[in-house]
Amino acid sequence: MLLSVVLLAAGSTIIAGLGLLALPWVLLALRRWTDWHRRLAGGLLATTIPTRYQPLSGSAGQRLRQMLTDRTTWRDLAWSLIQMLIGLPLAALALVVAVGPPLTVVSMLFWWVPDEPVHLLTGVPLDNWPSAIGFGLLNLALMVALGLVAVPPLARGHAHLTRALLARPAAQQLAERVETLTQTRADAIDAHGAELARIERDLHDGTQARLVAIAMRLGIAKQELAGEPGLLARLIDEAHDSAETAMHELRTIIRTMYPPVLADLGLAGAVHALAAQSPVPTHLDLGRLGTLPAAVEAAAYYAISEALTNVAKHSDAGTATVSIRQAGGWLRTSITDDGRGGADESGGSGITGIRQRIAALDGTVQVISPPDGPTSITVSLPCGS
Amino acid sequence: MRIVIAEDNVLLAEGLQLLLTRAGMEVAATVADGDEFVAAVARHRPDVTIVDVRLPPTYRHEGIRAALAARRDRPDLPVLVLSQYVELVYATQLLAGGQGSVGYLLKDRVGRVEEFLDALRRVAAGGTVMDPEVVAQLLAHRHNDPIDTLSPREREVLGLMAQGHDNTAIARLLFIVESSVNKHVGNVFAKLGLSADDSGGHRRVLAVLAYLNNQSRTVP
Repeated sequence: MLLSVVLLAAGSTIIAGLGLLALPWVLLALRRWTDWHRRLAGGLLATTIPTRYQPLSGSAGQRLRQMLTDRTTWRDLAWSLIQMLIGLPLAALALVVAVGPPLTVVSMLFWWVPDEPVHLLTGVPLDNWPSAIGFGLLNLALMVALGLVAVPPLARGHAHLTRALLARPAAQQLAERVETLTQTRADAIDAHGAELARIERDLHDGTQARLVAIAMRLGIAKQELAGEPGLLARLIDEAHDSAETAMHELRTIIRTMYPPVLADLGLAGAVHALAAQSPVPTHLDLGRLGTLPAAVEAAAYYAISEALTNVAKHSDAGTATVSIRQAGGWLRTSITDDGRGGADESGGSGITGIRQRIAALDGTVQVISPPDGPTSITVSLPCGS
Repeated sequence: MRIVIAEDNVLLAEGLQLLLTRAGMEVAATVADGDEFVAAVARHRPDVTIVDVRLPPTYRHEGIRAALAARRDRPDLPVLVLSQYVELVYATQLLAGGQGSVGYLLKDRVGRVEEFLDALRRVAAGGTVMDPEVVAQLLAHRHNDPIDTLSPREREVLGLMAQGHDNTAIARLLFIVESSVNKHVGNVFAKLGLSADDSGGHRRVLAVLAYLNNQSRTVP
């Protein structure tokens, strides 16, 4: 007796364990089953029923956890329960409509074979040819009518129910879309930043170096012709001046696009350099900075540079503080001074420029500058991670 | 004058070589990275060196590091650093040793051959040469500063002092007589509260740069 209880307990444990082991396959089968129904219902409604499971990766255990934490899995399960309650009766009805007409025809023709008379939907026994033909045809007409009138709307109703349960809710679709767009935008910014750094490097090694080499040779030529009047000397003189102007312009362009000091020293080093050359004593409070997209670094550097210029030009401040923090996918930079405040955004203060540059990267700029000071500019930039 | 050049760009290295040999100088070696530079300096004992800021392998500020490394072995080694852009932090690092014989110029300046050779000779002779852009960065956006009390001429003199010119050179560059320069320099030192020093040497440049870099920070 005891033995049988123990065996029973062990057996059920094994079966439960096996059930648990089979869970991943069951869940995968459920996905295929619901996907098939999405396609069926979608076909009937002439639409596609969108869904997206979280992508599976890693070990079997991780995959199982990903499936169990995927909200779509639980919607699938809920749909299966409702499918049992509603789908089964509907399927039975469909079966009747599909199998009924041929059965009726057989009953009409072979009413005389069984000992007991056959009853159709109308309940009247078929015991002679007139009743068999008459009620048989009536029965056939009822079946076809049922198939034509009742089944299509029921099927559509069922398909709507399937769509309601198995499609992603609009809010979730929207959230996923936003997530996708955020990711692709971050990728685009990354690529853009890498491109900026590459262009800076190319211009430095190529165009700038070539211009210097040209200016150098023109300089030597100028020396050779020193004191000689004439067209040649004048042309070389002009060419030399042009080369110098071009070098100056190119340097200005590169500095606005991607400051070389950023490439050389990184954001923290470049901000140290800014603070060192700011006429207003500037205190730095830099948090730990991870890898940042080059475009984000350039924009933050630009904002700090402009803000410190403002502090020096307009604020009458004794000191300024630059603080940079990276947390929760945002780079937050604030530039605060102890000056007189009342910053005027319209008066070519550079804040407009900061706003435009930061907005291009989906960032925000907050300027707090009461009339009697102090002024604080906070720039927040999304930076991936 | 024997020169060692650290420049990885072939076009520029060739141009420099042409320019220097034409001026009667001897290019002992042209190297392409910092380690080679330190080795070449030890081997050739040059009178002056020319170093590009961006050198392999990282192409960031290897040149500054190489210059400082070479000067650890030989603190009075004259070094003229060339760069495609100038940053005050690099100038400060180069000047930090306090020995002089240091120059920091934009590469653009090489095209003005006479001025460049003059700068190179000044560095070789123990002087200090700062690019006008570094000085301009220091003079930019200043308010409530004793510098505001300088006359335009005195500001010019201050800028040229910071670049490393002595009084004779300043007189030549401004087309004025040296005694006027002496007077302007005296006024500048008095207005900025610096101890008078008309030697035109490295100490004067350091004093002026240090003033420009720090003075406004102690003024309320």
